[in-house]
Amino acid sequence: MKIKLKISRYDPMGSSGYEPFLQAYDVNISAGTTVLDALHKIKDEQDGTLSFRRSCRSAICGSCAVKINGTPKLACKTQVIPEFEKHSTVIIESLSSLPVIKDLVVDFDAFWHKIHKIEPYLNPKEDDKDLKDKDGWWIIKKEDALKTDDASNCIACGCCYSSCNTMDADREFLGPAALTKAWRFIGDIREGKTRRLSKISDEHGIWSCSRCIECTEVCPKDVRPLTAIENLRSEAIKKGITDNAGVRHVEAMVDSVRKTGKLDEAAMTFRTLGFMRSIGMIPLGLKMELHGKMPLPSLFGTIEGIDEVKKIYDEIEKENLSLHAINREREEK
Amino acid sequence: MRYAYYPGCASQVITKEYSTTTKKVCQILGIGLEEMKDANCCGAGLMTDYNYELSLALNARIFAQAEKMSLDIITICSTCFMVMSRANRDLKEKPELLEKINNVLKKAGLRYSGNVRVKHFLFALIEDYGLKKLKKMVKKPLKDMKVAPYYGCHILRPSYAEGFDDPEKPSSLERLIEALGADVTHNEGKTKCCGFQIVLVTQTTAVDMIGKRLKEAKDSGAQCIVSPCPLCHISLDSYQGEAEKRTHQKLGVPVLHLSQLVGLALGISANELEFSRHLVSPEAVIMRFSD
Repeated sequence: MKIKLKISRYDPMGSSGYEPFLQAYDVNISAGTTVLDALHKIKDEQDGTLSFRRSCRSAICGSCAVKINGTPKLACKTQVIPEFEKHSTVIIESLSSLPVIKDLVVDFDAFWHKIHKIEPYLNPKEDDKDLKDKDGWWIIKKEDALKTDDASNCIACGCCYSSCNTMDADREFLGPAALTKAWRFIGDIREGKTRRLSKISDEHGIWSCSRCIECTEVCPKDVRPLTAIENLRSEAIKKGITDNAGVRHVEAMVDSVRKTGKLDEAAMTFRTLGFMRSIGMIPLGLKMELHGKMPLPSLFGTIEGIDEVKKIYDEIEKENLSLHAINREREEK
Repeated sequence: MRYAYYPGCASQVITKEYSTTTKKVCQILGIGLEEMKDANCCGAGLMTDYNYELSLALNARIFAQAEKMSLDIITICSTCFMVMSRANRDLKEKPELLEKINNVLKKAGLRYSGNVRVKHFLFALIEDYGLKKLKKMVKKPLKDMKVAPYYGCHILRPSYAEGFDDPEKPSSLERLIEALGADVTHNEGKTKCCGFQIVLVTQTTAVDMIGKRLKEAKDSGAQCIVSPCPLCHISLDSYQGEAEKRTHQKLGVPVLHLSQLVGLALGISANELEFSRHLVSPEAVIMRFSD
């Protein structure tokens, strides 16, 4: 069957440079034809000037990521007919949040710059008798390997980077791909003493993720970057890298639920922002109060079964000594 | 139809009007809600950042309570829906994990067998109640009212947890809006993020997101937005003034809770739907449908 493919064309740097527009091509599609097959057909048979990246054709190299009907996908892993059936159209565009070089080819410099920022290589512990056998080999148990298994499957295609909502609003955000790469090493039991975790706890790092979960949804390799970011956040708290608004936000919630069983928005605001910045929130707070929306702590109350909640906390923290130590320290303060 | 009703923390205080109007709507439709008054907070995702197992155990306490009631859980909060669905899926899929969490719950005298389902109010209306039946209950069709559907994130993603609607091309809100007699606008950013989770952490980024979502809805020609999530409502309604300051333009987009839109079509008065609790008044849009 003939299907019309609409492809974004843009040549910002060429001598014959053209402005962005959608060009339509009628292509013969049969069952199983992938979007990449169709792009090749266009380039071979209709228009040699169309530019796109591709290499392996089997969802391994990560070169051919484009937006198909608005969602970032690998062109080689996506068939044309199901796309057409679902959306009644096939629109192929370059990835978002990265500048276009030509047509579907985007500049990955910013993407790689962020991957390099997290130092994407292992800095192993110098010597660890528990982990090395007598011949000096690292012995890694299956359950330890599994911790970073998903993260190891990343093919750096950029789908998550393109779909990330924080990235759309903050181009300096490290982003789901680089943070997943960071977890690949921070979650590795061979990881030695590094400053990796502190660096990604700074501004534009792990605490800037708005949990839109687009990354996990679009990943063609099921890497689940959000889970990696959650793991990094837990790890940062365990290691005591806690001097930032992101951690204060989490701790306020953890303490609120421990005390009352509920989430106390007022305490969350005050503890996350600190005294000075909370003052800045007063005008909005008063505006909310006019509509009966001021989240006063007294309004939240305490659930009847709070003792059950406390027992659950105690039991988990008993298992998790580092958390227990952090909380003891906090309470003493 | 009877559910264990979990309103979530936000709708017990800040967005109280979402919960009270949901109860009014359900009463008219004959949907039974048994409020889980002793349930704890789901952790809003932040508990997972702190400790995954603590988050699982706290959610399992909620599930154990519903199991005792022999009811499935219904919530009106997308974030509660996402957090509970994810936890529930992990517990159901990994028996050894469920066992481990049950050992924790045992200290509190509780046990979860893995037999509860978590639903969002929107999906219960569509799947369990049915739009055909709802259409018959409409007393005041919302004729010529232009509504921008806004899903946000957690009602759709991650689809591996529950997956009621297709995150690439969702349709449940559109179908509901049409069933109530209103017009659906083409809202570009309907599945994008409202920034709520970082509004206290990196406020400028969040407010930028809020501004984008409101602008997209406005550009779609909508008179108002309908939202199935109280947290999105706080972002889009309460923080709208902040977004206006940052974008140097008047946005003036009212945001209706899902229950308020349904309630209006069912003939509940504006007064009873508590629109006065909104920071951006929807009066101009809703007055002609209210007595």
